Amino acid sequence: MSQIWQGKLEKIDDYRWRIPTSYKPGMKVPGLIYASESLISSILNDRAPEQVANVAFLPGIVKYSLAMPDIHWGYGFSIGGVAATDPERNGVISPGGVGYDINCGVRLIRSDLTLEDVKSKLQDLVNSLFNNIPCGVGSTGDIRVSDREEEQILAKGAGWAVKKGYGVKEDLEHTEDMGCMEGADPSKVSDRAYERGRRQAGTLGAGNHFLEVQIVDEIYDERIANIYGLFKGQITLMIHSGSRGFGHQVCDDYVKSMAYTLNKYHINVPDRQLACAPIDSPEGKAYLGAMRCAANYAWANRQCLMYLTREIFEKVFNKSWNSLGLHLVYDVAHNIAKMERHKVNGEEKVLCVHRKGATRAFPPGHKDIPEDYRDAGQPVIIPGDMGSYSYVLAGAQGAMEETFSSTCHGAGRCMSRSAAIKKCQGRHIDKELFNKSGIIVRAKGRSTLAEESPEAYKDITEVVDVVHGAGISKRVARMKPLGVVKG
Amino acid sequence: MKPYEIIEHTADVGLKVNGASLEELFENAAKGMFEIIAGEAFHHSSKVSESRQIQIKKAVNGSEELLVEWLSELLYIFNREEILFRKFKILRLDNSGEILGEASGQKINFSQTTLHTEIKACTFHGLKIEKNKSGFTCNIIFDV
Repeated sequence: MSQIWQGKLEKIDDYRWRIPTSYKPGMKVPGLIYASESLISSILNDRAPEQVANVAFLPGIVKYSLAMPDIHWGYGFSIGGVAATDPERNGVISPGGVGYDINCGVRLIRSDLTLEDVKSKLQDLVNSLFNNIPCGVGSTGDIRVSDREEEQILAKGAGWAVKKGYGVKEDLEHTEDMGCMEGADPSKVSDRAYERGRRQAGTLGAGNHFLEVQIVDEIYDERIANIYGLFKGQITLMIHSGSRGFGHQVCDDYVKSMAYTLNKYHINVPDRQLACAPIDSPEGKAYLGAMRCAANYAWANRQCLMYLTREIFEKVFNKSWNSLGLHLVYDVAHNIAKMERHKVNGEEKVLCVHRKGATRAFPPGHKDIPEDYRDAGQPVIIPGDMGSYSYVLAGAQGAMEETFSSTCHGAGRCMSRSAAIKKCQGRHIDKELFNKSGIIVRAKGRSTLAEESPEAYKDITEVVDVVHGAGISKRVARMKPLGVVKG
Repeated sequence: MKPYEIIEHTADVGLKVNGASLEELFENAAKGMFEIIAGEAFHHSSKVSESRQIQIKKAVNGSEELLVEWLSELLYIFNREEILFRKFKILRLDNSGEILGEASGQKINFSQTTLHTEIKACTFHGLKIEKNKSGFTCNIIFDV
């Protein structure tokens, strides 16, 4: 692949690596990468560390340009990048620091079922999910909305879906921000974004998006698992999707228009994809208003996907979703920018926290965690690749102190899609997964399976070990896939 | 020199594009993008039953921005009208921000065709059009 990164990197301890500001003139703060000795060698094979250094150029950036252990080369920001900017110090907001799939995220649904209950029906279940949940490139959904309704989605997020009957109030309580960001401004959204959004509500998408039937195979923290309603041997469901074409269009519109704000506000960034504007400028506010609409669209979308999933379970098991215990554990966003309160040098400030492939991880006691989880910390849902594990973590105090309450978001790729396809040539990844681990995989595109094959990803356990070891989140439970639906 | 080839990028997909002229560079970039989207299906047929004229008039900062505008416009039409474009012709290109082009292809029949990659957008990451002995070249990263 690419050459080994030759920049300056200083080891701080077993989990932390610093890129000093002296590496590149223009860096306003150092870079800080969370990684183990073995993960850092794969990270250095990639161009991601250079992107960590580039993000440190952003005006108003506070403390560090951060990178989580699942960091890999993106565009502008690395994936796994976190940056907080201070509006009182001309801090900026960068659409590239959120990404095109605004509020791409994950939700975890628990059940009262065990392997015994699903074993004989698993094939049926996975086929049924695959056939009934719109997925794949260009997929459009059965949930069609009018212009007026779309505006409601943008303003109310998952609350719109619940009002339509696609869920219950309890679902909202277990969704980050109750499934709706305040300050969404539909007037800042282009006609094109509206048009793309109308056709895709309730669709999974393609690429790394998926729906998985899993089994909890390890509990690390009984007390917290109990609070989240998780137990060993339990069947869970995971949905990974985002704001679809709507969010892609919003980001596209603003990355383009912010080319001009760089000159206007005399901002110097080393990559055009880091285009940004001061948070309090008209351009910054407009982007925030539109981005929040996309975030709300994504929460409505995942709520609709959960509704469709519950319906399919009801048909396959001939029981209501409630009696199957299909309750939402939690829903997290991992591509988002949020105004949050954090301490900087002992002083509490409102900062704009960009999380590009990173998850919020509030510690126990935080007021924005649902009451029933407050003693445990915020659930953090970490999806793995389709051949290995996914994890549930809990937010920890360390994240509050060091990472603006952020942690990792997944395994993180270590191989390009084309390299993965080459490596898997002539192989049937679905058959391999079934023969080796009994995992049933259904995907629209054959090449998706090769691109998403387990070997294209880092070892998720190593990633989780780092965030646990560094004290920025706490290991709670591990799930193993039984059935996977891919776009 | 190849008109385009897919290059490695850890999370996303990149294209290295060449063209004897800027016009050809733009046409080849569009072909490459639709090959990423359609995979093998891009070469399955050469039928062009649908044609769309693309006109862009926008003040831009250089050819890179214009290239992103051109590819984004094609992506938008592809998403809206579900046409798999295969042939492209740039009729007029003015670096200050004007393109007149034509794209032709076929309506996608989703029951017969499985597309390969969902491109979310064409990014500016590291995008620089360079002039060399045989014309123009650039690398483009798509978010997928």
